[in-house]
Amino acid sequence: MNEKINVDLKSLKFIFERNKPYILPSIIIVICIALFLQFVIPQFRILSLAQEEARLASLKLQILKENLNVLTNTDEKSLDSRLKILNLALPLNKDFGGILNSIYYASQKTGVSLGSFSLQIGELADTKKSVDFPSISLTIPISANAPAVNSFVEVLSKTAPISEVTVIKIRNVASSIKLSFYYKPLGFSNLKEDMRINPISQKGLRIINRLSSFENIESFQQVPIATSSSQDINPF
Amino acid sequence: MNTNINLLLRTDEETLRRRKRVKALNFVALMFLAAIGGISLIIFLLIQIINPSAILREQNNIIKKISQFQNKQAKLFILNDRVENIEKILAKRKDLARITNVMLAKTPSRLFIEDLEVDDKTVIMTAYSTSLSAIGELINNLTDMVHKKEIINSLTLNTLVFDEGKNSYQVSVKAQY
Repeated sequence: MNEKINVDLKSLKFIFERNKPYILPSIIIVICIALFLQFVIPQFRILSLAQEEARLASLKLQILKENLNVLTNTDEKSLDSRLKILNLALPLNKDFGGILNSIYYASQKTGVSLGSFSLQIGELADTKKSVDFPSISLTIPISANAPAVNSFVEVLSKTAPISEVTVIKIRNVASSIKLSFYYKPLGFSNLKEDMRINPISQKGLRIINRLSSFENIESFQQVPIATSSSQDINPF
Repeated sequence: MNTNINLLLRTDEETLRRRKRVKALNFVALMFLAAIGGISLIIFLLIQIINPSAILREQNNIIKKISQFQNKQAKLFILNDRVENIEKILAKRKDLARITNVMLAKTPSRLFIEDLEVDDKTVIMTAYSTSLSAIGELINNLTDMVHKKEIINSLTLNTLVFDEGKNSYQVSVKAQY
C-alpha cells in the first residue's frame, strides 16, 4: 500500500494552530531535562567534591591545631636533654669515641684487662639503607675468668651507645666477646605540614628513664666528647 | 433522521478536554522548571556553605605559628625516631650475660669449665672433673632446664671422654634455645 500524504501549507497551519498550546510546555520540559542532565548532575559531583575537600581541610586543620598544641606544650630544655641521652644511646653515625668510652668504662668498672682489639672504621657517614640497624662489630679479648667476663658483659649492656654481645667465649683466662655497637642514621623524611607530630609517649619516657640510668650517661653529659651524633641535624 | 446529534456540545467537551490536557502539561512544565531552579539554588547554596576557604585561612595562620617552632618540631621528630629504634633494638637484643650466668649457676663446683661459648642460638660447654657424679649432676641440671623450658629447649651430649693425662673426665654439651 502506498498512500500519498498531501501536506500543504494550509493543513500545516491547521495542525500548528491545533497543537499550539502544547508546544511551549513541551519545549520547557525538554529544556528542563537537558538542564538537569547537563548542569544539575555535574553540580552534584561538584558538591560532593566540595564536601570531601571541606572534610579533608577540617581534618588537616584539626591535626595542625593538635601539632601546635604539642609544640607549645613541649619544653625545649627537657627535649634537648632527652634528645642528648637518646643520641648517646643510639648515635646517628659511627660514634667511635662513645664506643671506646663504653668499653673502657666497663673494663675499669669490672677490673678486667682487655687485649688489643681493632675497630673497622669504614665510611663515617654510612649511607646504606638496606640494613635495619647498622652496627660496628668488634671482638675484644679479655683476660679474666667467667664471672668477670660476665660482669663485663652486664656492665656493657648498661652503657651507651647501645651494644649487643653476640658471642661470649670463655676459655680459662683467655676469653673474648664479640659485640656490635648500634647506630642509626635518620631515615629520609618526607615531612608534610599536615603530618601528625607526636608528643613523647609514655613508652618513650620509660625508655629515656631506662637509658638515663645507664652508667656512663652521666659522665658523657658532664664531659663533652666529640660524638658524631650531632643534634644540629635538622631534617626540615 | 437522528435528532440526537448536537455538534455544539461535542465541540465544547473536546475543547474542555484539550484545555485540561494543556493545563496539565503547563503544570508539569512549571513543576519541571521549579524543580530544576530549586535544585540548582539548593546546590549552589550548599556549595557556598561548605566552601572551605575559611578553614584554609585558619590553616595558613596555624602553619605560620607552627613554623616558629621548627626547631622543636625537628627535635621531636628525631626524638621519636630514636625512641622507636631504641625500643626495637632493646626488644631484639639477647641477654647473653643472663644465659651465661644461669649456665654457670647450674655447673657444679667440682666441675671446671674449660671452654664456654655462648651465642644467640647455642651454648657449647666443655668441662672436666675427676668425678663422674659432677658430670652427671651437670647433665641432670641441664636436662631439668630443658624440661622446664628454662632458657634452653634442647640438649646434646657431644663427648664424654676420660683424659688419662689429666686423670679426669671431660664432657662437652651443646644446648640450644
